[in-house]
Amino acid sequence: MAMEIGWIVIATILAAAGGVFGWRFHKGGQSRHLAFWGMAGAFACQLMALGWRGELRGQCPLSDIGEICLFLAWSLTFFYLVTGTTYRLSFLGVFTAPVVVILQGIALIPGSFDASPTQADTIDAWREAHAAFSVLSYGALALAAVAGVMFMILNRRLKRHDFKGGLVDGMPSVHRLVNAMARIALVGWIVLTIGVVSGGMMDGGKMIAHLLVATVTWVLYAVLLGVYFVRGLPGRQLAIGLIILFALSLIVFAKLG
Amino acid sequence: MKLVCLGLNHETAPVEVRERFALSEKALDREVVSLLESKDIEEGVVLSTCNRTEYYAVVNGGSGVDELESWICEQREFHGPREGVFYFYEAREAAEHLCRVASGMNSMVLGETEIFGQVKKAYQRSLDGKATKGVLNRLFQRTFSVGKRVRNQTGIQEGATSVAGASVELAEKVFGRLKGSTVMVIGAGEMSRQTAQALQSRGASSVMVTNRSYDKAVELAESIGGHAVHFDSWETELKDVDVVIAATGAPHFVVKPGHVEAVRRKRKFRPLIMVDIAVPRDIDPEVGEIEEVYLYDIDTLQEMANEARKRREKQLLLCEEIIREEIDKAVLPAVND
Repeated sequence: MAMEIGWIVIATILAAAGGVFGWRFHKGGQSRHLAFWGMAGAFACQLMALGWRGELRGQCPLSDIGEICLFLAWSLTFFYLVTGTTYRLSFLGVFTAPVVVILQGIALIPGSFDASPTQADTIDAWREAHAAFSVLSYGALALAAVAGVMFMILNRRLKRHDFKGGLVDGMPSVHRLVNAMARIALVGWIVLTIGVVSGGMMDGGKMIAHLLVATVTWVLYAVLLGVYFVRGLPGRQLAIGLIILFALSLIVFAKLG
Repeated sequence: MKLVCLGLNHETAPVEVRERFALSEKALDREVVSLLESKDIEEGVVLSTCNRTEYYAVVNGGSGVDELESWICEQREFHGPREGVFYFYEAREAAEHLCRVASGMNSMVLGETEIFGQVKKAYQRSLDGKATKGVLNRLFQRTFSVGKRVRNQTGIQEGATSVAGASVELAEKVFGRLKGSTVMVIGAGEMSRQTAQALQSRGASSVMVTNRSYDKAVELAESIGGHAVHFDSWETELKDVDVVIAATGAPHFVVKPGHVEAVRRKRKFRPLIMVDIAVPRDIDPEVGEIEEVYLYDIDTLQEMANEARKRREKQLLLCEEIIREEIDKAVLPAVND
């Protein structure tokens, strides 16, 4: 078994455990710190796997589906850890952990990783920066979309006066979720800006399509966030916007390959 | 030496009897002293709240409950029928009863927390007056740790059991902390007052009151530290409001979708929680269709309060188990020796 697979397996187990701990905390039976440390452990293992792939490639490991999924899972976990502490949105872990597990599950499918990656002869620093910052921004934008899904669930239940089952009790408030969505998306957009600018500086070639999609994505997020911060937007519309934008851009990038 | 508890509460005595036995702060000090001066009583704590008056005493041999009861009735000049008014416990039963009382299991509002502080105060008064010794000191200390355990390990205090409490719970679900939030009260009745005060107790900083009769609005606003708004200008004030409580006696809708639509842009589509506790309703249900509005009527609030009460009732068995366990493992003279 390749080294990175072992790390990803451990990371997946830890992320799943983080999700379970988070769920049990909100059901009142577990320390909230366990969820955080589960995700932190997953983060460390993801770093090890990415480091190993980076060594093999001699560049930022973003060249096959396994590496992209792993990098996305890592950035999602990174922003979860940062945001979880700042906004105390530990319940976000309950929603984030399954996404991380799914992404890493895809990475673990045989064939996702190039078994014998070729070492890069030359490195275009701008291209590396473009790829790394773009995927990193997608971690934040994915988290904003996850917060959007949480908002939709909470909003629906509050509007329908459905308070049974305890899920509403464990969730952050509407106000906090709306703030979290907007701020996380803003952080993602700022990181994406660096990615897009870096892309503009790199040598042309086959990355042009990626850069074009990244730029369109950047513009759409700019419009959504601009409307929210300047004019104001109901939480539901912001949530829908963030979920659709993230899903669409992910589909387009997947099509591009 | 025997531990006894004699008392009356909202379940055994009507208010006209309870008020005769209720004791003011000053009267309580005198009562404790008088109790100890009476025959065969070595230690004593008197608890008096709006719903109960209870005497916990350590009595010596011969003195019985009848004597204590007669003494109390004499002190309070109560000459009515005593049958069924008083309850009496001794030894372990008395200790378990005290734990139930301190944990809010015996309160009118099941699981209420105020009683814990009242029991503590009653004990402190006797302690300061040197009216407690080995038995009651140990018993009350154990009771306080039982009360804390019940509070921490069961759901006896979870959920709001009143309309005002349910309103606060919903507002917190939308806004998180209510600190700094602005409340508008439409109508100047008692329910408006209670709900506004419940929100204030959780941090709502600004309360505006509006009412058809401006004088009543001013009266309520002054009593709760808010400010009055003329009824013909409440719509414009809506732009700064986070929580609306509507409780007028109007036979038609007072708040309509147009009122909220008019200020949505100015509010930058911030969430708005609207609590309609009036019957007939004050807020058109269509207002709840507006995306950022969370509208709740009296039925929803009552249902929430009922659900919370049921959840608390389900916790009673667990609470009883904790009390039994704690009394079993404690070394309490005159209780389990």
